[in-house]
Amino acid sequence: MEAASIPSGDRSLLERSPLARLPDRALKYGLTILAGLILVLIVYFFVRLFDEARPAFEASGVFGFVFKNDWNPAAEHYYALPLVLGTLLTSGLALLIGVPVAVATAVYLTELCPRRALSPLTILVELLAAVPSVVYGLWGIFFLAPKLQPAEQWFAETFSFVPFVGGGLVTIPNCFVAGLILAIMILPIVSAIAREVMSTVPPDHKEAALGLGATRWEMIRMAVIPYCRSGIVGGAMLGLGRAIGETIAVTIVIGDSPTLAKHLFGQGYTLAAVIANEFGEATGLHRSALFAAALVLFVLTLLVNAIARLIVLRAARGGRTPQATGGAANVGAAAAVGA
Amino acid sequence: MITLHKTAATVLGVAALALGVAACGSSTNTTGTAAASKPASGSSATISGAGSTFAAPVYEQWGSSGSASGVTVNYQAVGSGAGITALEDKTVDFGASDPPLKAEEETALKKIGEPVQIPMFLGAITISYNLPGVKAGLKLEGTTIADIYLGKIKTWNDPAIKALNPGVSLPSTPITVIHRSDSSGTSAGFTGFLAAVDPEWASKVGSGKVVPWPTGTGEKGNAGVAGGVQQTTGAIGYVEQAYALQHNFTTADVKNKAGNFIAPSLASTSAAAEGIVLPANLAFAIKNPSSPQAYPITSQTFVMVYKDMCKAGVPGGKSAAEGVKKFLEYGLGEGQSILSKADYATLPATILAKSKAAVAGLTCEGSPLS
Amino acid sequence: MSVPAATPDRLARFAVSKRRRRTDRFARGMLLAATLIALVPLVLIVYYLLKKGLGAWSVNFFTTDPTGSTFFGGSSIGGIKSAILGTIEMVAVASAIAIPIGLGVALWLVEYGRPTWFAHTVRFFVDVLTGVPSIVFGLFIYIALILGTGSSYAGIKGSLALSLLMLPVVIRSAEVILQLVPGALRESALALGAPRWRVIFRVVLPTALTGMLTGVLLAVARAAGETAPLLFTAGHTNKTNFDLSQFMNSLPYQIYNDVTSPTTAVVNRAWGAALTLVTMILILNLIARLVARRTRLA
Repeated sequence: MEAASIPSGDRSLLERSPLARLPDRALKYGLTILAGLILVLIVYFFVRLFDEARPAFEASGVFGFVFKNDWNPAAEHYYALPLVLGTLLTSGLALLIGVPVAVATAVYLTELCPRRALSPLTILVELLAAVPSVVYGLWGIFFLAPKLQPAEQWFAETFSFVPFVGGGLVTIPNCFVAGLILAIMILPIVSAIAREVMSTVPPDHKEAALGLGATRWEMIRMAVIPYCRSGIVGGAMLGLGRAIGETIAVTIVIGDSPTLAKHLFGQGYTLAAVIANEFGEATGLHRSALFAAALVLFVLTLLVNAIARLIVLRAARGGRTPQATGGAANVGAAAAVGA
Repeated sequence: MITLHKTAATVLGVAALALGVAACGSSTNTTGTAAASKPASGSSATISGAGSTFAAPVYEQWGSSGSASGVTVNYQAVGSGAGITALEDKTVDFGASDPPLKAEEETALKKIGEPVQIPMFLGAITISYNLPGVKAGLKLEGTTIADIYLGKIKTWNDPAIKALNPGVSLPSTPITVIHRSDSSGTSAGFTGFLAAVDPEWASKVGSGKVVPWPTGTGEKGNAGVAGGVQQTTGAIGYVEQAYALQHNFTTADVKNKAGNFIAPSLASTSAAAEGIVLPANLAFAIKNPSSPQAYPITSQTFVMVYKDMCKAGVPGGKSAAEGVKKFLEYGLGEGQSILSKADYATLPATILAKSKAAVAGLTCEGSPLS
Repeated sequence: MSVPAATPDRLARFAVSKRRRRTDRFARGMLLAATLIALVPLVLIVYYLLKKGLGAWSVNFFTTDPTGSTFFGGSSIGGIKSAILGTIEMVAVASAIAIPIGLGVALWLVEYGRPTWFAHTVRFFVDVLTGVPSIVFGLFIYIALILGTGSSYAGIKGSLALSLLMLPVVIRSAEVILQLVPGALRESALALGAPRWRVIFRVVLPTALTGMLTGVLLAVARAAGETAPLLFTAGHTNKTNFDLSQFMNSLPYQIYNDVTSPTTAVVNRAWGAALTLVTMILILNLIARLVARRTRLA
C-alpha cells in the first residue's frame, strides 16, 4: 500500500476550498455578532437604568447615597448605607454557610457516594432549586424563623460579649435567618457546578495520588479540589449573584428595617428587598432612588466578582494549579485571563 | 445522537417562533381591542385594572367569571401608587387607589384626560393583639397607641393602659410591636390617624406609606403582620378589618373624636364617612372622623377613570369603556351586597349616590356610554 | 534480580499511619454529614409543602381557571389551570430565547474570544448581570417596552424579563463547563482535519452536554419560580390565555396573590399551586436527564 505522496513545499492538497471554509467563518462571525449584541443590550440596560437613577444621585450625591446612613422615604432622605451593609451581611453569610456545604456535597456525590444512591441524591439536591423564592420566604417566616428563635436567643445570650452577636433584641425575622435561607437557595447552583467540574477531573490525576499511597481524603484534597478551583469559584460567583439579588424571599424574612443592622439576630434590610417593597408605591424621587439602589447593587456584584477573579488569578500564577494534559492547560489559561 | 438534539432544538425554536408570530400577528397591543375580549353572544367583556391591594379582592370578586356583573376583570394588585401610574401610562382601563389623587398626580392625568375619582367602599384598620386571658375590646386611645408604637409604653400592664381599662387584669408581658415593612396604604391610614391625634408622633415619625418606625418588628404584607401577631404572645399590630374579622382576631376598641370607644365593626366603619362634605371631584380622605359612632381608623378607596375613556385612549378601547361603566354600575349597585359578606363596609347613601352619578356621567368620544 | 517477599513487617513501612487514617475517616464522615445537612431543608420544605398543599389538589384544581371570586370559599374559587399553562408557555418561550443565545455567547467566549479585551468586557458585564435582582429585570422591560410606548402588559414581555433573568446563569455555567473540555480532544479532532465548526458541534458540545444541561435546568427552574419579574410585565388575568400579546397568568403570581388572602381556601390553593410548581420542575428535571442519558449512549 502506497501512502499518497505530498509534494514537498506544496500545501495546496491539504487546503480546504473557500466554500468549505465558509461555515467556519460564518460560525465565528455569527457568534461574535451575537456576543456583541448581548453587550449592546446589557450596556443599554445600564444606561437606561442610570438615566432613571440620576435624580436620586443628584439629590443625595453619589458618595452620600452609598455611605451615609439615613433611608427615610417619608422625609425624602435617600442614603443607602444600611441597605448596602445589609446586602453585604446577608450575602456574606449565605456564601459562608452555603459554599462549603455545597462543595462538600459535590465532593461527596462525585467521589464517595455509592453508585445506586447517586441519581436520587443528585436530583434531591437540585430539587432545592425548584422551590419558588416566595415559598422559601414563607417557609422561612412561618416555620424556620420561629423554630430558630430559642436557639438564637441562647446563642446571643451565651456569646453576648462578642460585639455583633449579642446584646440586642432577638426578633423572629432577622439577618441571620435571611442569610441562612439565602445559603439554602444558592446551594443547588454552587453544588451543581462544582459537581460538574469535579466529574471532569482526569482519572489519571486521582489514580496517581492513590497510587502514591494517599488516603481517599488526601486524594481529594490534593488532586480534585485544586484542579477544580476556578470552576468552584465560578459556581460560587453565580451563587453570590443569586444571594445579592434575591428579592422576595429576603424581604419576607429580614424584617425590613432601614436602620444599620446592629446585631446578627436583629432586623436588617437589603438593596434588593427595598426595591421590591417600595417600588409599587414609589413616585418621582423615591422611584429614582430605588433605581439608584439597583445600580449600587451592580457595582457591588462587579466588585466582588473582580476580587474573586483576582484571587483565582493569584492562585493560578502561584503555580500551584496542577498542570496535566491540555485540559488543565485550558483551565490555567482561563484562570490567567480571568475565568 | 446529535441529530436528536438538533431536531429537538429546531422544533423548539420553530415552535417558539410560531408562537411568537401568532401572538404578535393576531392583534396589535397598542389599542388591543383584544380579540379575546369582544363579547360574542352574551359572553362578558374584559377590562383591565390595577392598584390598591386593599380593594383587590372586591374588584376580583365583582369581575370574576360567572359574576352577575357580566364583566371580567384582569386586575393587578400592585399598590395604589402603581395603579395611578398604570392609569397614566394607559396600560390599564381603570386604576384603583385608597388615597385620593395628589395634586401632581391629578395634573399628570389631566394631560391625558379628565380624571374622575369614584368612591367605592370603606374598610377599617383594626388594632389586633395577642394576649391570652384578655378578651377582645381592650380600650385604647390614639395617644396610647402612639406611645406604644413610639416605644414609650413597654408592657401591657402600663398605668396608661390600665387607666383606660379599670376592670381588666393586664399581665406584665412586654409588648411586641409589629408594623408593616413594605410600602402600603394601610400603613398610611394607620400613621395618618396617629399623626392626627398625637403631636409627638406627627413631629417624630409623621405619616405615609413608609415611615421611620421608632421601634418594633417589620413584617411583610397584611398577612405578615397578622402572622406575626399570632406567633408572639404580647404582640400588637394593625391589621385590615377583613382579615381580622375572618380570622377572629382580638381587636381593640379605639377612642374616636367624640370620646367613645368603638369596636371595628362594619357599621362603625360606615359611620366614619358620615357627615363628610364632599368636594366637587368627590376626593376625600377620612382623618379622625367626628361622628359619635364612627370607628376612627378607617380608610376609603377609589376607582380612578378618565371621564372620556375612548378619547383618552385606554387599552381596551370602546368595549372596555362600556365594560368599565357596567362594572362600576354593578359594583355600586348589586355588588354592595357582597361587601358585607366579605367584611368590607359600605359608603353612606349620600356618597354612594354621588358615585353613581359620576359613573352615569362617563362618556365615549363625547356621547354618553350605553 | 528478585523482588523481596512482601512480608508483613516490610509492608508495615507502607501502611497508612493511624493519624492519617483517622483524618480520612473523619473527613469522609464530615462530607457525608454535609450532604445530609444540605438535604434537611429540602425534606422540611417538601414536607411543609405537602402538608399545606396536597389537600388542595383535586381534578378540579388542575382543570379550572381561578374565578377571581374569593369570598365564598369552596369550589367557587376555581383552580389554577390558567396559571399552570401560563407558566409553561412563558417559561418555554423564555428558554427558547435565552438558551440558544446563552450557549452561543458562552461558546464564543470559550472558543473564539478568549484573549481579547472584547471578551473581557462581555464576561465582565455578564458577571454583573448575575447579581441583578429579579425585580429589576422586570422594571427594565417595563421602562423599555411599556412606559411611554402606549402598549400594555403582555405575556411576551414577561417572557423577555424571564429570559434576561436566565441569560447570565446559562452563559456563566455553560462557560465553566466548556472550559473544562480537554484541549486534547479538540486538538486531536483538528489534527484529523475536521473544520472548526465540526469540532465544536461534534466534539466539544456533546462532551459538555450533561454539564450544560444542569446549568440550563437550574436557570429554567429559577425562571419558573420568580414572581418579581412578572409583576410589571405580564399583567394578570384569571382566564386561560395562549396569546402572548395579552395579559397572562402564572404560577408564581397566583401563589403570591393568593397567599395573602384572608380566605383560608384561597391560601390553601396558593400552597397547592406551590406544590404543583415544584412537582412540574421535578418532572422536567427527570425527563431532561432521561433524554440526555439516552442520547449519550445512542
